Amino acid sequence: MNKKDLGLLLLILAVGAVVAVLNPRFLLPINISNTSNLVGLFGLSALGQAFVIITGGIELSVGSMMALIGVLFVDFVATEGLPWPVAVVLMLALGVLIGLAHGYLITKVKLQPFVVTLCGLLIYRGIARFYTHDATAGFGFNQNFPVLQGITTGKLWGIPASVIALAIVGTIMWIVLHRSTFGRYLYAVGKNEEAARYSGIKTDRVIVWAYVICQILNTISALYFAMYTRSIAPASHGNFYELYAIAAAVLGGFSLLGGEGSLVGVILGVVLLQELQNLVNLLGIPSSLNFAVMGGVILIGVTLDQQWGRFREKRNGARAARDATVGRPAAESAQ
Amino acid sequence: MSLLELNGVSKHFGAIRALTDVTLHMEPGEVLGLMGDNGAGKSTLVKIIAGNFPPSHGELRINGEEVHFHKPIDARAKGIEVVYQDLALCDNLTAAANVFLGREPRFGVWPFRFLDHKEMYRRSATLFKELKSETRPRDLVRQMSGGQRQAVAIARTRLAEARLVLMDEPTAAISVRQVAEVLDLIRRLSDQGIAVILISHRMPDVFTVADRVVVMRRGSKVADKPTANSSPEEVTGLITGAIEAA
Repeated sequence: MNKKDLGLLLLILAVGAVVAVLNPRFLLPINISNTSNLVGLFGLSALGQAFVIITGGIELSVGSMMALIGVLFVDFVATEGLPWPVAVVLMLALGVLIGLAHGYLITKVKLQPFVVTLCGLLIYRGIARFYTHDATAGFGFNQNFPVLQGITTGKLWGIPASVIALAIVGTIMWIVLHRSTFGRYLYAVGKNEEAARYSGIKTDRVIVWAYVICQILNTISALYFAMYTRSIAPASHGNFYELYAIAAAVLGGFSLLGGEGSLVGVILGVVLLQELQNLVNLLGIPSSLNFAVMGGVILIGVTLDQQWGRFREKRNGARAARDATVGRPAAESAQ
Repeated sequence: MSLLELNGVSKHFGAIRALTDVTLHMEPGEVLGLMGDNGAGKSTLVKIIAGNFPPSHGELRINGEEVHFHKPIDARAKGIEVVYQDLALCDNLTAAANVFLGREPRFGVWPFRFLDHKEMYRRSATLFKELKSETRPRDLVRQMSGGQRQAVAIARTRLAEARLVLMDEPTAAISVRQVAEVLDLIRRLSDQGIAVILISHRMPDVFTVADRVVVMRRGSKVADKPTANSSPEEVTGLITGAIEAA
């Protein structure tokens, strides 16, 4: 865990302590369980977004994809009677396909990621609404899928299944990002694509994979959300969720220019965002101010981080200058 | 038998003759200063050697064997490495990560193959020591001076077991003290038997470090002589055309 992540963790604990003092219900097991469930749900999607942001891209279509996958999955399973494992595989395949399409348009057709995924946002939302004729897709009251519900909305030793899923997926993705050559290449491509190409890295392939991973993780998140809400209104389900994911990544120390950020950072970002949502509810702040609180905190956070970065750079610069004048004779006498 | 031989190399792009009948040879450990005004054909020559594009006429030989480069990777396979002017480093990564970028050592069995950080730190520390650079493997490139960045870029070529290193204006954008550092690095390469082609506009650098100077003018080689037998004044004259050839 680097210094940035540690700072964010301290901020989360400090905010938590203040909220706990003002309203002790913050610490009730039911509140913690509910909040952590939301962390799990949003975290899965934010992890995917993080992979794209590291490459210097952005994926705006994930909220709409959540609605599309939600209505398709619920319709296939609840109405068409498809066995749910088959439906899950189909949804994952759809996610891979969409990721490949976005990656292809960005790397081969050379469209900007913002444009490609913005069009995706509009298209998938439209298809989701059209598919159900704007009606809400949902499970009936008597429809039960014990295994599916167990692994999506159940609990193990009091821990919500979504949190366990996030822990498993997060661990795998941590290894991919920080311990594999692919992860290393993501950082290289995000910072200096030309240098990466000169080094023999197949940069297009790395970028396409980032979008595929993003869509796979988002599909998993979408399935968990679908089972959590049990009914999906295609016009509103998942609205703004891409922005939550981007906000979490930015809070977690990612740069939208690419090449910066850590996996622990984005998860802490999700935790802080959900903590803020919870704070708004618990402290009796009008829920209409919800977004304003979130925006304010993110703005303060990134401003402080920016200023701290500049301070550090200045200090490093001063040290380098000192070394250059003092260190020179020492280096010469050593030779 | 020379390390690198160019025999009668020409290159034209449509009607534009970028390079006319250039013959050049290089021995192991030799440092060659390649000079010339903008558009004199230096870059074209270097790009042919680096495999960016093939010559229109003429042949390239490495250790006497004729080679045909179509992509930079072909040249790299023959031990020719390029240190780019803008250095092509990723400044969000450590020195060690940059040295090994694209050829990271790993351990484990597929699909469980992980980056071998320890090995990367260890080997890059050795490389920096060989180059007598104070660069530390764990430092981020972002925090480094121009000279240290050069050391990282040059260490990359050492890792590849290069026999010939092409350096494009390595001293263009760095401080005076760092220039000395970079020239030291070039000497280190030469000591280890690696040939260096140094493309530079800076006369003092070429006369400090190069064994031989080649001057290009309007696509032709107009001089090729030991630096000891030449002078900055003569080279300036050759570059501008005040002296026809030498």
